[in-house]
Amino acid sequence: MTSPVLAATGLVKRFGGFTANDGVDIAVGAGEVRGIIGPNGAGKTTLVNMITGVERPNAGEILLGGAPIGGLAPDAIAARGLVRSFQVARVFGDMSLVENLLVPYLARRGRLAEGEARARDLIGRANLARLADAPAKTLSGGQRVLLQVAAGFMCPQLSVYVLDEPFAGVNPVIKDTILDLIATERRERNVTFVVVSHEMDIMRRLCDRITVMVEGRVLLEGTLEEVASDPRVVAAYLGKPLR
Amino acid sequence: MSALSARRLWLPILLALACAAAILVLSRFLGEYGVHVLNTSLYYVILAASWNVLAGFTGRFSLAHQAFAAIGAYTSGLLATRYDLPLWVTIPAAVLAAILLGFLLGRLVLRMRAVYLAIATWAFAETIHILLTAAYAITRGELGLSVPPVFSDMDPRSYLYLFTGLAVVSVLGLHAFVRSPLGYFMRAIRDDELRAQSLGVDTVAIKTLVFTVTSGVAGLAGAFYGHYVVVLSPQIADFSEMAKIIVMVVVGGFGSFVGPLIGAPPVQILSSYLAKYGEWDMVIFAVVVIGFMRFNPGGLVDLVRAGWRRVRPTRS
Repeated sequence: MTSPVLAATGLVKRFGGFTANDGVDIAVGAGEVRGIIGPNGAGKTTLVNMITGVERPNAGEILLGGAPIGGLAPDAIAARGLVRSFQVARVFGDMSLVENLLVPYLARRGRLAEGEARARDLIGRANLARLADAPAKTLSGGQRVLLQVAAGFMCPQLSVYVLDEPFAGVNPVIKDTILDLIATERRERNVTFVVVSHEMDIMRRLCDRITVMVEGRVLLEGTLEEVASDPRVVAAYLGKPLR
Repeated sequence: MSALSARRLWLPILLALACAAAILVLSRFLGEYGVHVLNTSLYYVILAASWNVLAGFTGRFSLAHQAFAAIGAYTSGLLATRYDLPLWVTIPAAVLAAILLGFLLGRLVLRMRAVYLAIATWAFAETIHILLTAAYAITRGELGLSVPPVFSDMDPRSYLYLFTGLAVVSVLGLHAFVRSPLGYFMRAIRDDELRAQSLGVDTVAIKTLVFTVTSGVAGLAGAFYGHYVVVLSPQIADFSEMAKIIVMVVVGGFGSFVGPLIGAPPVQILSSYLAKYGEWDMVIFAVVVIGFMRFNPGGLVDLVRAGWRRVRPTRS
């Protein structure tokens, strides 16, 4: 790996007496798709929250393209190119799909007409064209996930996209659509992805490398085949072999 | 051509001018008191429209809007009476004072969650109310502060032109504000602030800007209103004024741009003619508000839209 686009070292996050992240190190190379797996409560979302400015780390450093971003507000981090999706899909319910996608575009002072053209193109690729001008609150759960993922691609400055459980509870068609969007953006804009997921089939297809987290620490890192055969990973998943 | 950017720019201007013309024609058939009611209605149109941008569009339920009108009225009034300054100096100064205090209060309260923001702004408004009452030596408290009028003949019909112009300019300005990219950010913040932030929207800056601008508009309306009623009393900062603004917006349509414009006049007209029964108008409004909240939360705007859908000839 050349110098990493996103690097965190020694990240610690405590909630009262509970240590959710206990010295996490992770480095992701430019253009890589990195998967993060681990049992529930392993601290994956806490790590995502610290990287994206939602939670402030108690200790540690986060570098984006070599510059420190630890402790910055989420909008300042997004402005530097690091954008995220949330585990529970968050959309602007009273705004139309097109308007939802315009928000990140206009936030970077994009022009309305160009933004709308891009938004409609993206909505078309997400198979939501029929609903383009409907309020987002009328979408189904899976469609909301799709819209939320699409919104990140509307950020002109996007360089690292952190997706927190984008495949949880969505049907196979929508999963494939999300995978298509990721593949296209990766090819066309060389976006780096960090994907938190439990879906091993998808992670196998999608990710170059996998980071396994257990109890607030990084257990190991490698290709999915490497980590899946590691006995400690098997033990962490309560004896269930990863498939 | 894309649908959003092609939205006609001249339509709101034309509509506003048509409404202004209608008001001026209507006034020909009204007596002096009727014209006075129109003037105060236009004052409340400006307050309700600007509060709706803050509360309805941006989701920041401030309870201090009437205090900024009071700050505008008293700043201009005091500068005019104590320092003998002309109104073309005192009114802009009043707007600046409202903008400045709006900015400072905004910085203080806009990081708070909804309920805390409402409580904090309410406390600010009560402080202003008490200050105006208690600082007797300066404001003359409940006795009232006599301030110079805009028009020396004090004819309500002259003021009608003034308030119509003021309402047209303020409403068109607010409309341009919510139709700009800022309007997208406001609605995004209202729907999900953290999501807006995570997509790169500087939510603190946007909220502060909206709070500052809407406070300035309230200050502008208050300043002119003061030089219309010519006797200022702390009543202008009373919570009942804020309640009236909320009633107007809820009756018209919370979060709809047109809502407060069509909600404010009927409420103010009713309130004026019920004034002889004391505070009973608020009881009636409370019932009306509960009725709207329960059965038609979209307000009059929703009723009009539903009615229009029924009578509209279906297009092929």
